[in-house]
Amino acid sequence: MKSLRAWAIRLAGLFRTARQEQELAAEMESHLHLHIEDNLRCGMTPEQARRDAILKLGGVEQTKQAYRERGTIPLIENLLRDLRYALRQLAKSPGFTITVTLTLALGIGANTAIFSAVQATLLRTLPYPHADRIISIQDSRLQGQSTGGLVSVPRFFDLQSQNNSFAALALFYFENPTLIAGSRLPESLNGVSASGQFWRVFGAQPLLGRTFSDRDDRKNSPEVAVLSYGAWQRIFGGNPDAIGRQVTIERKATTIIGVMPSGFDYPHGTDIWQPSHFDPADWGKYRGDGTRSMNVFARLKPNVSLQAAQNNLRVISSRLQQDYPATDASWQFSSQSLRDYLSGRFRPALLVLLIASGALLLIACLNVANLLLSRAATRQREIALRRTLGATTRRILSQFFIESLLLTFFGGGVGLLTAMGLVHAIESNLPGGLNTFRAGVDRPVILFALALCILTGIVFGIVPAWHCRTIDLNTSLKQGEPRIAGRSGRRLRGAFLSIQTGLSLVLLVGALLLVQSLWKLTRSPLGFQPEHVLTFQIALPRTADANASRNFYSELQRRIESLPGVTSVGQISALPTHDWHARSNYDIDGRPRTANHDTAAAEDRYISGDILRAIHIPLLAGRELTPRDEELKSPPVLINRQFAHEYFPNENPIGKRLINETGQFEIVGVIGNVRGTAGSIANAISPEVYFPEQGSPRRLFVVRTHIPPEQIVSAIRGQVHQIDPQQAIGKVRTLDDMLNASVIQPRLNTGLVVAFACIALLLACVGIYGVVAYSVAQRTREIGLRMAVGASRGQVAWLFIRQSVISTCFGMAGGLLATFLTIHLLRSLLYGVEPYDLPTILAALLVLFLPSVLATLIPARRAASIDPMQALRAE
Amino acid sequence: MGDKMEVWQGTLALMVLRTLETLGPQHGYGIARRIEQTSGNTLTLNYGTIYPALLKLVQEGSIVAEWGVSENNRKAKFYKLTRTGRKQLEKETKTWEQATEILGRFLSPKGDPA
Repeated sequence: MKSLRAWAIRLAGLFRTARQEQELAAEMESHLHLHIEDNLRCGMTPEQARRDAILKLGGVEQTKQAYRERGTIPLIENLLRDLRYALRQLAKSPGFTITVTLTLALGIGANTAIFSAVQATLLRTLPYPHADRIISIQDSRLQGQSTGGLVSVPRFFDLQSQNNSFAALALFYFENPTLIAGSRLPESLNGVSASGQFWRVFGAQPLLGRTFSDRDDRKNSPEVAVLSYGAWQRIFGGNPDAIGRQVTIERKATTIIGVMPSGFDYPHGTDIWQPSHFDPADWGKYRGDGTRSMNVFARLKPNVSLQAAQNNLRVISSRLQQDYPATDASWQFSSQSLRDYLSGRFRPALLVLLIASGALLLIACLNVANLLLSRAATRQREIALRRTLGATTRRILSQFFIESLLLTFFGGGVGLLTAMGLVHAIESNLPGGLNTFRAGVDRPVILFALALCILTGIVFGIVPAWHCRTIDLNTSLKQGEPRIAGRSGRRLRGAFLSIQTGLSLVLLVGALLLVQSLWKLTRSPLGFQPEHVLTFQIALPRTADANASRNFYSELQRRIESLPGVTSVGQISALPTHDWHARSNYDIDGRPRTANHDTAAAEDRYISGDILRAIHIPLLAGRELTPRDEELKSPPVLINRQFAHEYFPNENPIGKRLINETGQFEIVGVIGNVRGTAGSIANAISPEVYFPEQGSPRRLFVVRTHIPPEQIVSAIRGQVHQIDPQQAIGKVRTLDDMLNASVIQPRLNTGLVVAFACIALLLACVGIYGVVAYSVAQRTREIGLRMAVGASRGQVAWLFIRQSVISTCFGMAGGLLATFLTIHLLRSLLYGVEPYDLPTILAALLVLFLPSVLATLIPARRAASIDPMQALRAE
Repeated sequence: MGDKMEVWQGTLALMVLRTLETLGPQHGYGIARRIEQTSGNTLTLNYGTIYPALLKLVQEGSIVAEWGVSENNRKAKFYKLTRTGRKQLEKETKTWEQATEILGRFLSPKGDPA
């Protein structure tokens, strides 16, 4: 209690007032007077009396200082004093302070922004209880093409009955059901059909009502549905009465049983979850490729490790390989943690960005260290003076650190604000998918920025502090020429320059590669024309029979064709940039067949209407498909050029037949390649087979217009409503938008790396300029002397050029080495460019060399134009 | 100087409190003087050291300070014992008496604890 009170008073004592100081002086004064009077009374002379009183007291100033120290907390008081002093120093040279603040703000801001993305995608815990126990199960071919890891339904049931590792196992697939709630118009939703244990796998609890279970998932259970928070708000206005309401989904009466909280958003963007009602008995016989369309996830039993689950999956796979040699022999299950599944594809890009921003920060730090070093040199006399007045090394070092920490906190503050702005800007410009992970400046990010500040403050603060540690008091006080400008300081600065140059080179090479890659990605021919094309999707109920859907779609095709502004209309099962995972394997007529090793593997597409003209794919050989082909049992097909190139390199494919377990298909035509059929337009073009539509209920329409495509949307809605008032259309987009969305990530990566590289180049040049200019200023007298004894202006300029060129060359050599060591990390981000590309590296060297020479020449010219007489007289 | 003793750490506060109890309100010089006299001039006391000790006691609430006028009409800061200070004095006196008694028993020449 007592000491607490004392501490509080001492803390308050940090803010000493002048009055307190006066009072102390008055008390000392009165003390001395009392003592002197006593002494006089004892018979001393006034002089003796005063001397004795002061001696007995132990010195007035010493007593005052002891009193003051007891009055406050010396450590904090010193700190505050250093802080005040540092602030004054920085305010005195605003140019220096602003330069350093901005430089650091760039470095810290870039790193904080990138870290917030890393935090959101790779580090933050997933919003599911014990998320590390959730795995994704994938089915892949031992050789040849797989279907994106998707699992067939029979194999899912095999997993269910044979595993001993999973506490819960679920499949789901995507649908676009049409929902009619009360008197609302039919609307197309993003739906997910899932098996009963889906909710147990993700450990998800509903906000209202309940989720469905295995019982609801049985074949003939009544239809139920769970809404997402967003869909609940949109359709039912957030009314809790929605629970228990009857709605029509896919023409069936369905009960809404639950609403999920807004935090549950898996799969991203889902509006509605429904039981899939799969029954093993319905699937038993058929195990072919066509059914591989299920996403499978599992939650591990509490005592089962990921490794054990892998082993279990391997055992099940080999058992199935033996049980079903005809269909399952070349397939194997594997698993992946949920986090890897969700964010694995972002990892290479984030790693590259993290390295790039780290390099930028290092460059910024070196720049600031160089500036501080120059400043320390000019402050040498001040430090020597403080030393002579009794400042200890510790006090001087702490003064330096406080100054550099203060600078980083300025920089860090501005940087954090920049990062917040940057993250917000990027965030609000991202299309779906990427912003699944809501990046934001949250607590870990702020802590990261803080740690970065302290670290950088120490890193660049330690160098000048170290240099001022041993200052020769005598010479420093006497001489005007600071010592740090001497040999060791110059060498250190040269080393800093080299490192900066080297790091800039790495960034430049990376940026140039990414720019070329983006150029190729977006500028090479796509194989189709995305301009002026509207696309939308219609999903009739899955129960609709082939004839009904054929009638519906041919009627709609006819009506849209006759709309004003429409050039051509076609239908297709999947659009470019969308990976449909519909792959089949074929034998080719007349070629030898090897067991479990099909002759040809290809992506399947189903087309109808005038798709080739609607999307602008050229017919290269043979004929197009006709509406009559759609009614044949074994219809003719088209192949793309890649198929012809891979499997008929020296033959005419027209008339050849493709054979698999579902039939025989004669090739009647070859059409051009289309990029993006296997997902991203960056992926290699794969062989494709185009079938005539065979009455599938779900189709994508492609409408080419000669007016802005957005203008015909309502006319199309009207036509659909006229044919069937219960049907909605969904996913209305232009093909252009789809393409833009698909290249947003490469664009973002490239933009960021290019920005980092430009900033790095700028900083490096500023660094070179600063060092040379400083060196010229420091050596003015020497230059004068050299000129006086006969050095030419060229020789003087060369003195400085040589010094900087040597550092630059060392840096470039080191940078080349670093480039060779790290640039392969870019490989997965590049399209059509090799990472080890000689012209690119040469270009980067040139881009780096020219400005750095310029940054040297300007101050070197100034050195050469010094008037020797003036330089010598200035002393 | 050689046979004089330094003031032990921590005892100065006790001496100050005791002095104030005996003399009543007193200024810093008076307290220092009195401590020296009471010790029979065997203690060397830098008078200056009394001031941080006084400040500490003020901070702890054992004494209070007030400006007043000395007997020979000089302005001086007078220190006065508070209730807390009295209690503290009582407690610390007891502690010291016990400590010296114990030490005395150990150090007495015929201290053979038979």
